[in-house]
Amino acid sequence: MKVKITNGMFVALIMTIIYAKAIGVTQGSLAREIGHDMWIATILGTLQGIVMMILTAAILQKLPDQNFIGFAEALLGKWAGKIVAFVIFLFFLFSFGPIMVTFIYHFKDYFLPEAPIYLFIVVALIVGIFGGFHGLEVMARMALVGAFAVVCLNILLLTGSLSEFDIHNLRPVMEKGFIQTSWASRHYDTDWALATVMAGMILPMVKQSEKWVKAGWSGMILTCIAITMWPILEAAVLSAPVTAEYIVSCMHLARGAHIGIFLHRYELIMIALFSTSSLIQIMMSLYCSAHALSKIFGVKDYRPMLIPAGLALGAFGYWLVLDHLRAISFTEKEWPLISLPIAFLLPIILWTFGKLFRRKLSRS
Amino acid sequence: MKVNKIFIVILVISLLSGCGKRQINELALVSAVGIDQGSSPNSVRVTVQVVRPADARGQTGAPAGGTGEPIYSVQAEGKTIFEAIRNLARFSSRRVYWAHNFIIVINEKFARAGIADMIDFFTRNPELRMNTWIAATPNPASEVVSTITGLEVVPGEAVDKLFRYNEIVSEAPRTNMTRLQESYLNEYTHPVLARLELKNRGISNKKPEEFGSLKQIELSGTAVFKHDKMVGWLNRAQSRALLLFIENVDSGIEVITCPDLPNQDATLEVKSQSLHVKPIASGSVPSFHVDVSSRVELSESGCLATFNEMRGYLEEQMGNRVKEQIESLLAAAQKKYKVDILKLGEIYENEYPSEWRRIRDDWEDIFPQVQITIDSRAELTSAVLKITKKKIPRG
Repeated sequence: MKVKITNGMFVALIMTIIYAKAIGVTQGSLAREIGHDMWIATILGTLQGIVMMILTAAILQKLPDQNFIGFAEALLGKWAGKIVAFVIFLFFLFSFGPIMVTFIYHFKDYFLPEAPIYLFIVVALIVGIFGGFHGLEVMARMALVGAFAVVCLNILLLTGSLSEFDIHNLRPVMEKGFIQTSWASRHYDTDWALATVMAGMILPMVKQSEKWVKAGWSGMILTCIAITMWPILEAAVLSAPVTAEYIVSCMHLARGAHIGIFLHRYELIMIALFSTSSLIQIMMSLYCSAHALSKIFGVKDYRPMLIPAGLALGAFGYWLVLDHLRAISFTEKEWPLISLPIAFLLPIILWTFGKLFRRKLSRS
Repeated sequence: MKVNKIFIVILVISLLSGCGKRQINELALVSAVGIDQGSSPNSVRVTVQVVRPADARGQTGAPAGGTGEPIYSVQAEGKTIFEAIRNLARFSSRRVYWAHNFIIVINEKFARAGIADMIDFFTRNPELRMNTWIAATPNPASEVVSTITGLEVVPGEAVDKLFRYNEIVSEAPRTNMTRLQESYLNEYTHPVLARLELKNRGISNKKPEEFGSLKQIELSGTAVFKHDKMVGWLNRAQSRALLLFIENVDSGIEVITCPDLPNQDATLEVKSQSLHVKPIASGSVPSFHVDVSSRVELSESGCLATFNEMRGYLEEQMGNRVKEQIESLLAAAQKKYKVDILKLGEIYENEYPSEWRRIRDDWEDIFPQVQITIDSRAELTSAVLKITKKKIPRG
């Protein structure tokens, strides 16, 4: 029987695949660019993400049994499907860089500075391949746990940071102006891009296609609510200049959190709650890239492709995180240039072809 | 399947064991750090106060296998703080571990030379707590961190509690690493640190006749910085006024001379104080209006008058006292040190962002010329338990 997940699981997958990088690494980039208005950029990014998620769901509702690759193949032929599969593979290959930046710099820089980088890569690949091998339902169930962990993490951080909250640090609002703040939202766009491209791959495996659009936009809004708390706290508690100093700014906030006098330094609890989201990112990247590879090479089962996909993604991730400056430079400069054209243009192109070949689409 | 499971368990065990090589019995848990200038030019001397777990369990005397000394203090020098800390490894049998550090004490000389390196090192180090207290001292920092003060067994913990309960006297800013880093990175507001000083205040139980034979650490006053360099001190009254601008003040006392007996005093306990700053955009130099209100209670009275009789007088005197303290603080900040430690630039920026963009580059020159008016009111709401007139015995 073909695996199907519920719309609730799909919402949890959206939340967990965006969350891990968006709360810290992305907010550091935003703070460096627009200071304390990073929370506004996050909301502006969400609005763009909602549009693209709705578009993705609307495209695939036309052919509910096909993902982006199958949709292109049905409309334009086999080679078009292979090209889309290659583009999606490239997307997830390069996405593994920022995902590893998030995963490794959280754990290595703050908890295990003496552990070698390859250890984190190997662990990430083992867990990722394990999850990918067991398929979407396992990952989706884990995402439900992850969504609960996200709520717990937010409550813990909020409780531990409110005593240091200074609302004056959030003023004046929109200091750099609307245009610059909107432009800065591209950093958050790279986060929701993971969710929309993932949706383009897994939506056929989500039940009740008539609810996809609603699940898509509600997932984006819930994610925005869970994430926006972080830039607000980072700006109000740490201040924007302090947030801007760090690669993983959320960890800097987390290590200062304390509840009363006796409960402090509980970032290990917080990182455990955070890790589910990070692992979902890893598993989903491997799963989607293996799917894309299987389409490129015409292999029916995606599972054998998990190993080559893992090797390619792992090698790129390892090379990137070896040098902090290279890692953050790629995350802030090259990654938006790679991810955003794919995240915006791929659905728009498929939608346009869907309109142009309406008859062929209805026959399919 | 069984083979697979065994393989996974072995793999996980082999990968996850020995990630961190630090066992707790191999760590030197630092509870306080002192930073002084080194003996050679451009060098730094770092003193760490390390807890001896076997001797710091709250009991007196030497437990079995212990030395009776709850702390082990050791120092080393280097060109940078990190080098000095690495040089500690020459003396320390255990790896220095910062996660339990309570306080960093900086000597005045070192602070006047600049603390940018210190801020950078400790905010770059993932082990350190961001709520670690930071203080400046005119004494050698090495001596301050090695002095056992208060009731605690571990001196670092004692100073930590001094900071926590300092809100009762409200005479020093409670600056931790987060706040120091924030003000240091702010281009227009300058950092302040609490002042720690050794005072002969303790009385030895064995030699009570030698009053003040034991040195104790006093937390009172403020070190003022211009960017990363210390420029001077604020006294107690100025520090009290400063706290109104940068922290919440809900305690403290003021002693006011009686209206009827010039050699007797009444003591007012502050229950709450609030300060509101209103910026006024006027030409190239802005002005500010400071509005302070204090709610106080009469805690001690040597006066003849009843509470009702002297209430108005005490309220007026209290209002004037707070105003004088703020004026003294403004004189120090604007005329003596010429640094905005009151966050006035931030307040102006929040209210008038476009005007602020015009003047922010010249803020350091503008700040000393800024006109500040003060309106201070006090409300005496309670005489606590008593209300009647004091009876004077007739001789």
